[in-house]
Amino acid sequence: MGLLLVVTLILEFTYLADYDSHWWNAIPAFYALWGIISCMVIIYVAKFVSNNIVKRSPDYYDR
Amino acid sequence: MIAEFVTIPGIILMIGALILSLVPRDLRSSIFLLFPIAALFFVFTRPEGYEVTATLAGLDLVLMQVDSLSRLFGIIFSATALIAGIYAWHIKDLGQQLAALVYAGGAIGVTFAGDFFTLLVFWELMAISSTWLVWARRTPSSDAAGMRYLIVHILGGGILLAGILWHLADTGSLLVETLPQSTNIASILMLIGVAINAAVIPLHAWLPDAYPKATVTGAVFMSAFTTKSAVYVLMRVFPGWEVLTWFGAAMAIYGVIYAVICKDMREILAYHIVSQVGFMVCGIGIGTDMALNGSAAHAYSHILYKALMFMGAGAVLYATGTTKLVELGGLKKKMRWTMIFYMVGAFSISGLPLFNGFISKAMTVDAAGYAGNETAMLMLLFAGVGTFLSVGLKLPYFTWFDKEESDIEVKPLPVNMYIAMGITAFLCVFYGLVPGALYTYLPFQPVDYEPWTVYHLVEISQIALLTFAGFWIFRKKLAGERIIALDVDWFYRTPAPFFRRVFVNAIDNFFGWVEALAFRITDKLVGRFDNPMKWLNPFSKEENHARTYSPPMEMVMAFVILVILVFGIFLVL
Repeated sequence: MGLLLVVTLILEFTYLADYDSHWWNAIPAFYALWGIISCMVIIYVAKFVSNNIVKRSPDYYDR
Repeated sequence: MIAEFVTIPGIILMIGALILSLVPRDLRSSIFLLFPIAALFFVFTRPEGYEVTATLAGLDLVLMQVDSLSRLFGIIFSATALIAGIYAWHIKDLGQQLAALVYAGGAIGVTFAGDFFTLLVFWELMAISSTWLVWARRTPSSDAAGMRYLIVHILGGGILLAGILWHLADTGSLLVETLPQSTNIASILMLIGVAINAAVIPLHAWLPDAYPKATVTGAVFMSAFTTKSAVYVLMRVFPGWEVLTWFGAAMAIYGVIYAVICKDMREILAYHIVSQVGFMVCGIGIGTDMALNGSAAHAYSHILYKALMFMGAGAVLYATGTTKLVELGGLKKKMRWTMIFYMVGAFSISGLPLFNGFISKAMTVDAAGYAGNETAMLMLLFAGVGTFLSVGLKLPYFTWFDKEESDIEVKPLPVNMYIAMGITAFLCVFYGLVPGALYTYLPFQPVDYEPWTVYHLVEISQIALLTFAGFWIFRKKLAGERIIALDVDWFYRTPAPFFRRVFVNAIDNFFGWVEALAFRITDKLVGRFDNPMKWLNPFSKEENHARTYSPPMEMVMAFVILVILVFGIFLVL
């Protein structure tokens, strides 16, 4: 998997160096960063929302 | 006329439901499959521009109208009815089979309806029949969830009807047509009515409430029809409404956050429908040709892989009796084929290369970018990460891996379940490898989107690889627990006992009180008037009984009756 990542990065820097349809194409490895950051944000937001607001025991509505 | 009427694909399935109820038990599930095949045949053979019209109470109705958009949805709805019918082949429960046929017929009928009245009739049939698929589970929680589902949908249908009537009064037209973006009350009522069925937040809570409680096979039908027929109507009537862009993008994110929170297979998948429909709604809001093509293609692909994933989850429920992640894990040896088929669906939904989501999801997301809406595009990419994380990694990891070997006893699956999953998995891969097969049916031709670019491959693989890395690091945080997650249905479930007291019990009590009062008054009056002799002879203390009537008294009464009779006769003459 690490290998695959390296391959995509090489592809990005060789084939797509001048690709600029979006502003974020200027950032190297943007999609990799977006992936890991989104992933962490989602997990932490989900845990936060779950623990603080919406988590209940399964019989919550039956009481 | 009759021949045209009965070959409307939606009507075929309704008639099928009638016939099916007369078929012997053991033949029923095989006969079931004939009707979707017939519907599929007529969907394919009716030319574009074909119409069936009728007149009812002075209104011109268009019962069926074929164009490229309705044909695309007609194909996938009929095909799903067929595949889900195969999946449910072992079911002998007549109620479920009839409900499923009527439900599919309703969805296909909505797709081909050329006027709002026909559309509404099929719409309501869909709501009622799908409720039965929840109730057929026959547990107390599914009874209650089905009732909530029905109430929400009847409310949605009512709002839609109000909008349609208002629209009719304004324009005098019932034809299904594109409405210009406006703050016209008629259009907004219709939009809300449709948005309830499309599970647009905050009107979505019925979906994750009801779907996880439906029967194993019912959930497969449900995952395909209700939301996607609403997506079709949105696409037909409200393309380019900007509000949909933002609601769609918000839905996409909201759905995946909840999919990460939830700990039950089918609940995760249900929330994930909200997220996926968000992609489609967002594309409809953007409203360019490419975005609408993307939404239509995504609906098409989504129905396939979501049905596949619900089949996988249903198979786990059938085999083990539970879908709670905390009780599952380590099934990789015992349910290997289910896992493989499920993973095809999961990879498709995550938009990985070689699968159909790679085409359709990317088309929708890129359409947002091309239309200059980069914020919406980033929101959708963000939601895409959550998709892979929740249904592509978390759900399968805690179902099939995590432990070495599960000690749950696994019931063998009927062969037809494997066949249905196999067909669907094949289609997911097929459309991923041969996107042209789907492109020819898209509403806006020519489709000039090329998914197989280096850029797109780099984009998808980097996102997927790093999402996997993130999951692996934090996987302990996502493990199964025994919890439920509150959602906006809290706002109607918690005060429900109060409202029941005010609107049901109080009214019941009032009627009860009036009834008791009426009986009491009757009782009093009867006591007073049961013996007219008391009144005719008020001066006597003794009780008068009929048998003691004296002849003179009888004569007086006979005379009175005679006079009344004579008067009556004169009056009539």
